[in-house]
Amino acid sequence: MENKYLEISKKIQEESRKLLSEGKVERIIGFGRGEFTKEITPIFVSDPDRADELLFTPECDMMLAKYLLDYKGSKTGIVAKPCDTRAITVYLAEELIKREEVFIIGINDCEGLDDNDACEECGIRNPVVVDLEIGQPRKEEIDPEIKDELEEMTREERFEYFQKEFSRCIRCYACREACFVCTCDECFADSNQPQWVGASIGKRDNFTFHLMRAMHMAGRCINCGACEQACPEGINMRALTKHLYRVAKDVYQFEPGLDPEEKTLFATYKLNDSEQGFLD
Amino acid sequence: MAAKENFEPKILAFLCNWCSYAAADLAGSSRMQYPPQIRVIRVPCSGRIDPFLLIRAFNSGADGVLVSGCHPGDCHYLDGNYYARRRFLMLKELMQYAGIPEERVNFTWCSASEGKRFAAIVDRVVARIKEVGPWEGFDGRGFARREEEMAGGK
Ligand code: SF4
Ligand code: SF4
Repeated sequence: MENKYLEISKKIQEESRKLLSEGKVERIIGFGRGEFTKEITPIFVSDPDRADELLFTPECDMMLAKYLLDYKGSKTGIVAKPCDTRAITVYLAEELIKREEVFIIGINDCEGLDDNDACEECGIRNPVVVDLEIGQPRKEEIDPEIKDELEEMTREERFEYFQKEFSRCIRCYACREACFVCTCDECFADSNQPQWVGASIGKRDNFTFHLMRAMHMAGRCINCGACEQACPEGINMRALTKHLYRVAKDVYQFEPGLDPEEKTLFATYKLNDSEQGFLD
Repeated sequence: MAAKENFEPKILAFLCNWCSYAAADLAGSSRMQYPPQIRVIRVPCSGRIDPFLLIRAFNSGADGVLVSGCHPGDCHYLDGNYYARRRFLMLKELMQYAGIPEERVNFTWCSASEGKRFAAIVDRVVARIKEVGPWEGFDGRGFARREEEMAGGK
């Protein structure tokens, strides 16, 4: 392991041990090595003697924030990349968790993860909300472009492209499970009263599922890339959510997960909101 | 693509009870002429319309949708249409980006006294959708054909 990551890991272990033995948190959610494969996986530590198992590497690509919802009503520590803190910020803005329920161990100066294309498009390299910082914050700001790979295509070509992409979908819902936004008790995709979309694999229902999924992400998706990474079929479903991210930024100057006090896109409105595309 | 010329689109119109539905009523009782291709669904407020309903309409074979609510500022429930406005703009962007012609996805405002405007809007929407032709479905297989198959046709 590179020195930098070794240092971060050490610091996380040290601080976690302290937090746990002082009883400041009941558990720490972080990354560690799996028991069998030794791959990086989320781990849950409540015994201070086990704090040494906590690690941080460029393979820490799961979004941990979602686990906080399982521990509401108690104090939980969480090792958080800047994107995790954005996810936490969305939860705070939507009042899904309380600020005092979480202790955020935030990683400063995130360099991005291995194999996650979304990291190249991310301009948030320091935690947004944090209780304890690891490392020095990054000074210079970056504002990378959120790319539109389909920009050159005509509408018909995009339709064909998405038809092809979504026809491979096996409806395993790994994209949903990986995404921190997906917190509904009952997913529309599982509901049969009403049945929003057929549950079996088919071009029509797959396309419908992905449109609906993207619509549910609008104004909440932080473009973290977890969905894409989880997909066993390598489907570019992030193209849709990313487009909505760009639109929200351009039209409403809204980017989710930057301010816990700010309401999410659909939870508020302005009197002079755009009506672009409406029939006059 | 099925014959465009004698194509009679199926258009789902979600109309707010307090304005556009009354406008449709007014247009009717004033004997204004407008195309008969819309199927009206009356809803309590444009803010009630889940974008999923519109996506589902396309899944089920609608050639287009029209949503009409109260003008901004006139909502019966004060701000339902303001919330709706954001959702519909995003939905429109999503559909357009996914490759569904924007002519099929129509949003507008219409007050209870605007019977004439309502008739004109329906005219326009029908023309827009006729322009892009029948909706072939997300799988491109078309719906009319499926109906024929089910009816034992070719
Ligand atoms: S990129 Fe958006 S939709 Fe995908 S997992 Fe992240 S927040 Fe969810
Ligand atoms: S993870 Fe991939 S295959 Fe599974 S439901 Fe999502 S898009 Fe489909």
